[in-house]
Amino acid sequence: MNDSGTKKILFNKSTLFSLKAELLRKQEEVKEKRQQPQHKLENFKPPPAKDKSLERDAKKGYKKTFKDSLNAVDTEELEACRKAKVALEKKAELYEHLADGAGNSQLASRFLVDFNTKKQQEAEKKPEEPIPHESENNASEDDGDEWTEFTDCLGRTRKCHKSDIAMFLKRDMDLMRAINKDKVVSNEEPETKPEEPPTVEKEKPLLVQTTNEYLQSLRDKWEQKEKELLAKDKDIHYQDLLFDEARIHGVGYFSFSTDEAERQKQMEALLKQREETLKAQKEAEQVRKKRDEMIAARVAAARARQRARAGLPPEEPKENQKDFTTCLLEFLTQQKNEADAKAKEKENKLKEEQEKERQKLREAYVREWDIGKEGVDGKVKKFREMTQEEYVEQQRDKRIKEFAPPQTSTSGNSSIFDDKGNKVDSKETAATKTWADVRPRVSTPPPPEIGELTDITQNKGLYFSSSKNNDGPSKNFKYRNFVKAQEPTPIVDELEDTDAVADDTRREKRKLDSGSVEVPPPPTFEYYGPTIKQTKFEKPFESDIREAYSQGAKSLETKSSGRQLPKHYDFTFD
Amino acid sequence: MTASEVSYNRKIISEDLSNVEFDTSEDVEVIPTFDSMGLRDELLRGIYTYGFEKPSAIQQRSILPIVKGRDVIAQAQSGTGKTATFSISILQSLDTTLRETQVLILSPTRELATQIQKVILALGDFMNVQCHACIGGTNLGEDIRKLDYGQHVVSGTPGRVFDMIRRRVLRTRSIKMLVLDEADEMLNKGFKEQIYDVYRYLPPATQVVLISATLPHEILEMTSKFMTDPIRILVKRDELTLEGIKQFFVAVEREEWKFDTLCDLYDTLTITQAVIFCNTKRKVDWLTQKMQEANFTVSSMHGDMPQKERDNIMKEFRSGQSRVLITTDVWARGIDVQQVSLVINYDLPNNRELYIHRIGRSGRFGRKGVAINFVKSDDIRILRDIEQYYSTQIDEMPMNVADLI
Repeated sequence: MNDSGTKKILFNKSTLFSLKAELLRKQEEVKEKRQQPQHKLENFKPPPAKDKSLERDAKKGYKKTFKDSLNAVDTEELEACRKAKVALEKKAELYEHLADGAGNSQLASRFLVDFNTKKQQEAEKKPEEPIPHESENNASEDDGDEWTEFTDCLGRTRKCHKSDIAMFLKRDMDLMRAINKDKVVSNEEPETKPEEPPTVEKEKPLLVQTTNEYLQSLRDKWEQKEKELLAKDKDIHYQDLLFDEARIHGVGYFSFSTDEAERQKQMEALLKQREETLKAQKEAEQVRKKRDEMIAARVAAARARQRARAGLPPEEPKENQKDFTTCLLEFLTQQKNEADAKAKEKENKLKEEQEKERQKLREAYVREWDIGKEGVDGKVKKFREMTQEEYVEQQRDKRIKEFAPPQTSTSGNSSIFDDKGNKVDSKETAATKTWADVRPRVSTPPPPEIGELTDITQNKGLYFSSSKNNDGPSKNFKYRNFVKAQEPTPIVDELEDTDAVADDTRREKRKLDSGSVEVPPPPTFEYYGPTIKQTKFEKPFESDIREAYSQGAKSLETKSSGRQLPKHYDFTFD
Repeated sequence: MTASEVSYNRKIISEDLSNVEFDTSEDVEVIPTFDSMGLRDELLRGIYTYGFEKPSAIQQRSILPIVKGRDVIAQAQSGTGKTATFSISILQSLDTTLRETQVLILSPTRELATQIQKVILALGDFMNVQCHACIGGTNLGEDIRKLDYGQHVVSGTPGRVFDMIRRRVLRTRSIKMLVLDEADEMLNKGFKEQIYDVYRYLPPATQVVLISATLPHEILEMTSKFMTDPIRILVKRDELTLEGIKQFFVAVEREEWKFDTLCDLYDTLTITQAVIFCNTKRKVDWLTQKMQEANFTVSSMHGDMPQKERDNIMKEFRSGQSRVLITTDVWARGIDVQQVSLVINYDLPNNRELYIHRIGRSGRFGRKGVAINFVKSDDIRILRDIEQYYSTQIDEMPMNVADLI
């Protein structure tokens, strides 16, 4: 200690700075620690009182032994003790003197501690120094003077004037209440029964118990809510059913009140806010636009000025600046867009038509599980009749005129046939002249029943071709409503039925068999000529053409869309 | 001839479909955002506040056809927003000024029906939609009162719904859409009759929507009986398992060792929330008791419990109060608890579909998940079959499984 005076302390600016920094850091640390949750009052847990009592017992025991030992202590030790005490007292005196403001004395400069600031800091701290709290008067007054000791609710031993004890006790009570707001009252009891601490055994089940209690309280809460919900005669909303569910919602989620009126209010407020937001957005957009315009105008004006200064003619407006290539490009793209739009429109139209057809079919479809329901039976019947007739009509409409059955040159009346060459014998066609009208009147048998699919395939019509037959049963339904041939015609040989000549002979044969009176067909070239043959083969070809067309169009389309030439290379006018 | 054409012709001629391959319909439009679906403003707000931002694959494809009124068969992986798909479509096509039941949703379990009701109400929070959960195990009188109050949508289980229809409490004349959630389960032997019974009371040609993560062939075959030219949105079975759900197995020599394994895993279970599946109710009870005896906190649920208790267990689990749930296949389908990230098959499921549904309880809407299968030596064969069937990967459980959750 004595060396301190002679010890030379080397320092320069940097050491000073680092010292200052270290000091600040420490101060900061202390502050931080004070902020930490374990140092906060709310989080403080009083140490288990059992320990306290144990400690007390231990202390008692210790005191006893100390006293005993004291008697045994020899004078030498006592002397040493006295010396140390004196030294400490001296030291305290010195410190007090230093801190007392005599700090400016020479003495002070010998110490590294700045007692001045220390004193100031202490003075600052004093008002916020924790107010002493109490719990119970431990009555551990040792010398019976006006000072008394007590342990506060936080387990600290505190000393205070006897006259103040009532006040401190009250304060401590308040504090404890603040801390243990939701804790059980039993914890507050130590005041009246200070020596009885809650046992540790009691504490552990308490934890489990509280969780169970918590669950139970939750369940009760839910039960209550459920009851309310059942009793609720108004609308039920999402929030009514949430029951504390841990679910992450979107950012815009708002938990509405379960009270209907309150909810309504919240909803209105939300709506209003939304409208305001939209309005504000719109306004901001306008402002931005205006500003941009202004800036553009200013820039243009500046440039014009510059040009004027340089003696150049004023700039032409932007619109007129386009050169030839851009014009051309624009024109081209415009053309292309138009073409694309047209193609798309066409496609859409086609799709729409298809969709319409499918919709019709859907409407006509009867589900198995629907049969027997009100209004379904009629539909079932309607479906069977209507679609078939419609089908014939539709097929006829679709047929290209060229491929229609030949017109008799003598009468000029067109006869109507169905696809298979059988005369169509229905009421709708009665108005127009039919094959039967052309033929001489003979006793014709009544129109036959609508046959089964199998029957029809046996009684092939004039234009029957085996290739159609190969399409499989899925297409057979088309024939369902066609009229049976008037009388069974023996099948010559289906497999050989590939060329027109065989067909012709069969037709001739059939006519011979059927008609009691033979009416020779009009000997025109149209009738005997290649027309029939054409009809026969043209049909599939027609569809082929369409397909080929669409295929071609598609490939062209993909080609054009796939082509990504730089614009200035693209001079095609498509 | 494509599959869709086949199905189209099927309406006229019924043929044997067992060899026909069903495929997703052509021309299914994909709409990339909710904004461009043309939904009502209030519905859009409901969608966004509920937490959806971008429609999932199934939502991009199915919402529009359903809104258009077409019959739809929609399949998608578990936890990808199927319930929201039909809920959004329903809400879009509702007429809220008409206080009558317009849509009927049927699902196999009461918990699922309640959950659907919740989703409908959440998405329709700004539309003032009324949706009622018409399920068994509840007070009949209350049910009647609620239905009399006027409900736009009824979500229920077939038994109680049929009861209500028969009593003429649930009037069907305004119903324009029937939704079968977990459709394959609903059209299975156990439920099909009940579905038929309900269907017979609906107006003819009611729009029908089938939704499920699994749609076996035989289910697709029978749809023509109650659907008209449906649009199909299907998933191939090798794409049915989610990348986000890692699947493992633990091989045990004896059944008793499963319990020890489970105890060892308990720490991992409680990281978030876990569901443990057993094949029988008795086993659930047994395992629960055994776990509790070993001082583990678990809760359990199965079909033999009173509805009140089932409700409470569900609420506790949904609120995160309980973390480990031991249950049967009553929990296998559709139940959505966001925090579940681990599924344990204490017993392997009885069929392949159930496996998909069980492991789908974790990994909800893009979250990660882990499924652990306890297998005895003779079960490994079954597991390998499942693995092959779905072209997925089920490895032996690594030590660091907790890191994957």
